[in-house]
This record gives sequence, C-alpha cells and structure tokens, in this order.
Amino acid sequence: MTTSANTAPPAQDPALLVHAYLDGELDTPTALAVKQTIDANPALAAQLASFTALQNAVRARFPRERVPAHLRTRINSAVGLNRRWARPTWGALAASVLLAVGLSSGSTWLAFRAPQPDLVVEEAVDSHMRALLASKPTDFSSSERHTVKPWFNTRIAQSPRVIDLTTNGFPLLGARIDVIGANPVPTLVYGRRLHVISLSAVPGATGPKDPTLRRSINGFNAVSWRDGETTNWAISDLNARELETFARLFQASN
Amino acid sequence: MDVQNEDDRRSFERVVVPHLADALTLARWLTGNRADAEDVVQESSLRAFRSIGQFSGTHARSWVLTIVRNTAYSWMRKNRSATLVPVEDLDDEQRIQAESAGEYASLSPKNPETELLERVDESRLEGAIAGLPTEFREALVLRDMQGLGYREIAEVVGAPVGTVMSRLARARQRLIKAVKADQT
Repeated sequence: MTTSANTAPPAQDPALLVHAYLDGELDTPTALAVKQTIDANPALAAQLASFTALQNAVRARFPRERVPAHLRTRINSAVGLNRRWARPTWGALAASVLLAVGLSSGSTWLAFRAPQPDLVVEEAVDSHMRALLASKPTDFSSSERHTVKPWFNTRIAQSPRVIDLTTNGFPLLGARIDVIGANPVPTLVYGRRLHVISLSAVPGATGPKDPTLRRSINGFNAVSWRDGETTNWAISDLNARELETFARLFQASN
Repeated sequence: MDVQNEDDRRSFERVVVPHLADALTLARWLTGNRADAEDVVQESSLRAFRSIGQFSGTHARSWVLTIVRNTAYSWMRKNRSATLVPVEDLDDEQRIQAESAGEYASLSPKNPETELLERVDESRLEGAIAGLPTEFREALVLRDMQGLGYREIAEVVGAPVGTVMSRLARARQRLIKAVKADQT
C-alpha cells in the first residue's frame, strides 16, 4: 500500500490508517484500498464507526468560537488599526464616500443591512458558471460518496450530506468549494445527461421548507430549500421541472 | 516610517484578521476558558503584527496558529504550570495497539458505542476534552473543530506528521473511553 507525496506518510498500522481515512488524508486509490480493508475487518469497521460518531459529536457541539466585537476593538487598538491620525488610504476614502451616500438615503442603508437572498443566488450562479468555464466543474472528481465527504473534511469545518442518486439518473461527479456571501461553502456536483448541477450548502436557515424554484438567471435555474441550519441551492441549466425533481430526491434521501 | 506602518497594518488585516476565530478557538481549548483565551489572542495579534514582515506569504492560518500556540504555552507556563503535562511520544505505536487492543472486536458499525457518542451531552464531552493531555487536546481541536489537515497541524505544533497522527488517534481513543466511563 502506498501513499502519495501530498498525503500522510506510509503507516503500516491499520489503527492509524483508519484515522487517516476518516480525515481524508489518503489519496483516492489508497482510500479505496483502505476502505476495502476496513470493510473486510469488523473490528476496524467498528473503530471507524466510533471515531466518525465522535468526530461528528465534537463538531456539532463545539463550533468554532465567534470573535466578539469587544475583542476586535481591543486588537485593532493594540495594533493601531483605527488610529485617527493614520493617513486615510484611497480605499478608506472611497468607503467613507460610499458610507456617506448610504447614510444620506434611508432605503439605501436598509439595502446594505437586510439579508440578501438575491446576492446568494447570484453568487451561486456565478460560481456554477465559473465552474463550467474551467477545465472541469469539480476540484475533486469522484462518484464515491465515501471519498467525497472526507475530501470536504480536510478543507472546511462543515461537510455536507453526500447522497448517491445514480440510480435516479443523477450521478455524482465530484465536489468543489465555492465562496458565497464571503463564506467557503461545500458544493456537490451532479450530472443529468449532458447537464451539470451544482448543489451548494449555504449557512443560514433562510430558504423555503421544500424545494422551490427561486430564480432563472441567464438561462440557469436556481432551486433552494432549507436543510437544518443551512439552505441548499441547486443551480443548473437543466429544465426547472427536472431540477426540482433532483432537489426533492435529494431532500427525501437521508 | 509612516508608510511602513500603513503597509504592516494592511498586511495584518489580510493575513491575521481572517483567522481570529480559529485563533480564539485554539486559545480557548488550550487555556480552558474564554476570558484567558481573549488575552492570549490579543497578545498573539500584537506579536503577529510585530513580526508580520517575516511572514512568508503562504499558509497564513498555520502561521497565525503557531503564534497563538506559542503565546498560549507561555501563558500556561506562567499561570498554571500544573496544566502542562508533557507526553511521551516515543513508543506511540505500542501504546496505540495496547490502548485499542480487543476493545472493538465485538462491535458492529452501528453499535451502542456510536449511539452513546451521538447523544453524549455537551458538558460531559467538554470535560473529557479538557482532561486530555495538552498535546493530544490541541491535535483534536485543530483537526476536528478547526478542520486542519495533518500537515498543517504538524506545522503548527512543530512535530512530525506521524506524531500528529498518533496523538490524534490516542486523543480519540481516550475520549471514547472517558465518555463510556462517565456513563457507567
């Protein structure tokens, strides 16, 4: 069994390989081989199940700390970020002009402050278009959901539900990470005939309870629905009816 | 001089500020409470700002977390020498095998242990994590709460990847043992 240069060094101990597999530290061929070893060995399979449950429990109960405003203020004044005598940069000047414009009109100010689902859908569609223009729409290609989930685990704090819908005619193609609303979000990529579907899990329970067609932008349809503390956005040039079918199938599989 | 400061401040905003939540998380689990963690993060930010010129340009998160870790360790040495218990890494392989031997043999993938872990309450799990030796605890926090890869963790804690792997493995084994012991 070998591991490639950018993964954990060779470890013969299967007890350590279970962790490396869980943490997505193995390249795809090694991960598949290790998974076979685990499946064939009930003791290792039990370990994997326990460590996975533990990791989920730790993540669910102890999310990353939030930085309180008073700490930001303390840090800013410690390093002199908001010293009044600092020469304003052009960026700061431009921002203050914008702020003045915003303040001078109540409605503009509201537009800055209100949650903006429109912005989310536009950014989701932009991400999808960018992905289609790239040489491939995924950063990580795999049709195996057991390798897609660990891939997210090594890159971002939350990893989404990964569901195999191949038998329903929506094969899993892989995954990538998009930036939506200044957050890195997990995106799954599915196929339908020659169409590509991007499914992003955006933080915030803002979407409708059931899959709903929200917008059509430049020929792309956007369907969204709430999933716990996140809102799923499915984007594709697939027709709205089939995209909604995809969304409902995803929502229904647990 | 003024221009230099302005550059440093801009670098600080770009390199350090995006990682403050990670900095606070690590400091909170190293010091054991939020108030001390805030002091550590403020002190770390100042240290990072003063040495921003030495930042290599890549791996901002590991760079910031390394500074936070060093600051937290000096803080712990000064304030509670008792919480720093050094661990022996030399015979990792044997210990892991000893610690895991026979423990799982009778269990199947969905089992009482996974169910216990799924509904473990927050304060019990918190107590179990707080009770881990510092080196095990930081590996677990960096991996499972903050999502760092093994290489990044190795960079932050200044240990080889193999050592990180075994610390993480032992942290997880001890946590499961502690959660099970609590229940009986």
